[in-house]
Amino acid sequence: MTSGGASAARPLVSGRSVQARRARRPWLLAGLSLAVAAVLLSPLAFLLLEASGAGVGTIAHIIWRPLTATLLWNTVRLTVVVTALCAVIGTLTAWCVECTDLPGRRLWAVLVVIPFAIPDFVVSFAWSSISTWVQGFQGAVLVMTLAVYPLVHLPVAASLRSADPSLEDAARSLGVGPVRIFLRVTVGQARGAILGGCVLVALVILAEYGAFEILGYQTFTTEIFTEFQVSFNVPSACALSLVLVVLSCLILGGEVPARGRGRVQRTGQLAQRTRRRHRLGRAALPVQAALLALVVLALGVPVGAGVYWMLEGGVPMLTGVSVLDAGWHTALYSGAAAAVATLLALPVALLAVRHPSPGGRLLERSTYLVLAMPGLVIALAISYFAERYAGGLGYQTSALLVGAYAILFFPLALVGVRASVAHAPADVEEAARSLGRSPGGVLWRVTLPLIGPGLAAAFCLVFLACATELTATLVLVPTGVQTLATQFWAYQQNLAYGQAAPFALVIIAIAAVPSYVLARYFDRLPGRSGATV
Amino acid sequence: MSATPGGVAVSDLHKSFGSHPVLRGVDLQVPEGAFAAVLGASGSGKTTLLRILAGFERPDRGVVAVGGVTLDDDHHHLPTERRRIGYVSQEGSLFPHLTVAGNVGFGLRRGRSHDAVVAHLLELVGLAGLARRYPHQLSGGQQQRVALARALAVRPRIVLLDEPFASLDAGLRASVRADVQSVVRRSGATVILVTHDQDEALSLADLVAVLRDGAIAQVGSPRDLYDTPRDPELAGFVGEANLIEATSDGSTAETRFGRLALRDGHHSAGQPLTVLVRPEQLRVTPAAEAAAGVAARVVETGFHGHDAVVRVAAEAGPPSPLLARVLGELRFEPGARVVLSVEGPVHSWPREVGG
Repeated sequence: MTSGGASAARPLVSGRSVQARRARRPWLLAGLSLAVAAVLLSPLAFLLLEASGAGVGTIAHIIWRPLTATLLWNTVRLTVVVTALCAVIGTLTAWCVECTDLPGRRLWAVLVVIPFAIPDFVVSFAWSSISTWVQGFQGAVLVMTLAVYPLVHLPVAASLRSADPSLEDAARSLGVGPVRIFLRVTVGQARGAILGGCVLVALVILAEYGAFEILGYQTFTTEIFTEFQVSFNVPSACALSLVLVVLSCLILGGEVPARGRGRVQRTGQLAQRTRRRHRLGRAALPVQAALLALVVLALGVPVGAGVYWMLEGGVPMLTGVSVLDAGWHTALYSGAAAAVATLLALPVALLAVRHPSPGGRLLERSTYLVLAMPGLVIALAISYFAERYAGGLGYQTSALLVGAYAILFFPLALVGVRASVAHAPADVEEAARSLGRSPGGVLWRVTLPLIGPGLAAAFCLVFLACATELTATLVLVPTGVQTLATQFWAYQQNLAYGQAAPFALVIIAIAAVPSYVLARYFDRLPGRSGATV
Repeated sequence: MSATPGGVAVSDLHKSFGSHPVLRGVDLQVPEGAFAAVLGASGSGKTTLLRILAGFERPDRGVVAVGGVTLDDDHHHLPTERRRIGYVSQEGSLFPHLTVAGNVGFGLRRGRSHDAVVAHLLELVGLAGLARRYPHQLSGGQQQRVALARALAVRPRIVLLDEPFASLDAGLRASVRADVQSVVRRSGATVILVTHDQDEALSLADLVAVLRDGAIAQVGSPRDLYDTPRDPELAGFVGEANLIEATSDGSTAETRFGRLALRDGHHSAGQPLTVLVRPEQLRVTPAAEAAAGVAARVVETGFHGHDAVVRVAAEAGPPSPLLARVLGELRFEPGARVVLSVEGPVHSWPREVGG
């Protein structure tokens, strides 16, 4: 029953049919992963090169300006306030949906998550177009909170769903009241997830550009954009970028020690019991009213404003054609970037899952440093590189934009690919070998069917992120080409709300539905509770 | 190697992971059609041995041959898929994306007999109705049976079982064990089971090899291994053991339980010995009924239903308690006065008397 391989012809006893040894140290994988890490960290290297080119004195001089203090104050206070609000709102919504007998909680679970898919600059546009109050600091707090609280809700909900219900029972048997159980046991178990969500929220706020530009709120990103695109002041943009990267690194690093403390351990994983839900009783009505208000503000206003402006503007024929054209380019760049990012993530994920080692872990961690680099900074570093070292050849070509996307959303791809690789454990492949399948046959009949869906999910995740990306696209999009986001931006900048609105609605439509499907997919993966990204 | 024409012959097998040696010269012969068990504590290298036989790992040195054909030596390494060696892992390692029938038929060529073979195997392992289920819809015991059927489908010459019962709960384990044993015996394949459970090894196999520190410490029938272990440490590993000091008297030994017949061989008179008294050889009688023997007190009783293990401490002699196995209906309360005697011949080793 053995399937005859290509080298099967020779009798074993006589020939020297030495088979390639299964590499004990996966040099090839390690080499590829190292190359991927180098590519991912190259923007950081360019940034430092650029800074050193300008001279330490110049950079220091630029940083020690009153402007920097203003930007720092603006950025930090917004980050702190929005992160705190998101932590509270996201945890409460997650608890209501996962742990209570809230009527219609399946529907709520969907409605509460959808705002995640609407790009921040679209939310910002919608709010500022209907109210003059929504601008500056208070506007930024409102818009960002409504746009990003699902980043806390999603991991916390996943964590609560997989949490051990017996812990609450144990606390009750020790005579602890319901409020203290919520604070000490329920929230305690979800602590890692809440923290992870907060880190993501803070990073998003540091990286956001479009929303703040619309609201007229000055942060590091808006100032960097102005210095680079309007004033062409490269040293200044570079210096401010460095400060921004340091801020992001601080936030990313702040999570590491907190995460190590008190890892949630689960005993007896086989006995999965159904969770008893807390009865809301009379509180059910007010809770539903609060959730309704949240959904109206976060989902109703953006969609409603879009529809309103579209009807008001009386869409001209030209818009229909340009939506198609812009949509085609968005799909083209996003698709290419998603494929590249998924491919790049494969060796890193294989190394981390199949050959766990301290070096491999360090390598995997280092790729997460990309999270600390806002899209704007990556775009600037890449365009600087293209201009300075590639002789301006690559600047504003599709390849450069695709490369920037792939680097920017690599962590997203890695999460998906890693989970899918973990779905195909080595022992299952060995079982297939022992049943007479050649390595190629194993790949085709076992490995690919197992990891295929996960790879597709990773691809879609990156695709969606690229399709709704604005900042890096504005910097790197090829001249004369418009994507959905840049075309929306151009109309919006000219206050052509009626023409911008269809683009906003198309972006919402292509992002919301698949995002929901993907969120459900990742929730169902085992071992994903409370993980970041 | 000529001793085992169709069986497995392993000689001088070495394997290290990094600087950590796992196997240091394993020699093992398993005759064709035998059910062999490799018994070892965790970390003794038993799974590594099995993975080398399956071809998942390559030995650093040594020879693996099956039926006189070399699979592994310094120059050759036959890849797993051409060995015709079935492997059932501890977790079963079923393909999660295939049904039970898909799993069992995985190694079979598509053809007229395909479905019939799958159906026959599922019937053999008692899962005829579950062909269309997916692995996650099965219990642990059912998953193991599917894994076994899948391995047997390709008619392997050898079936390797890597602690296949360890993840099952106690109630299930006995029935799955019995089923697996009868199924693999009917298949005619040579079976090698690795386990850390001496009960499992002794009750299932007709040949038991004890792996200790990366080498085979002793090979023999379960009976031999239990009755005449090579050293006191092995005696404790394959069962509970009372080790008692004695002095040789030719073919008998003088002990505090009187003169005991030695199971094997002679020692020169006056040679200090350690003798092995299995708990079931130690007879415990209430002091009131006994005629002669060693006076002792019951320390504690562990009741197991069919039998009970009684810990007793002799009133004179070394203070370490002795273990006796008695029938379950006998009652010994802690503190009760009893008399001990030894039944049957005992196994012995020369004892070095320290200065």
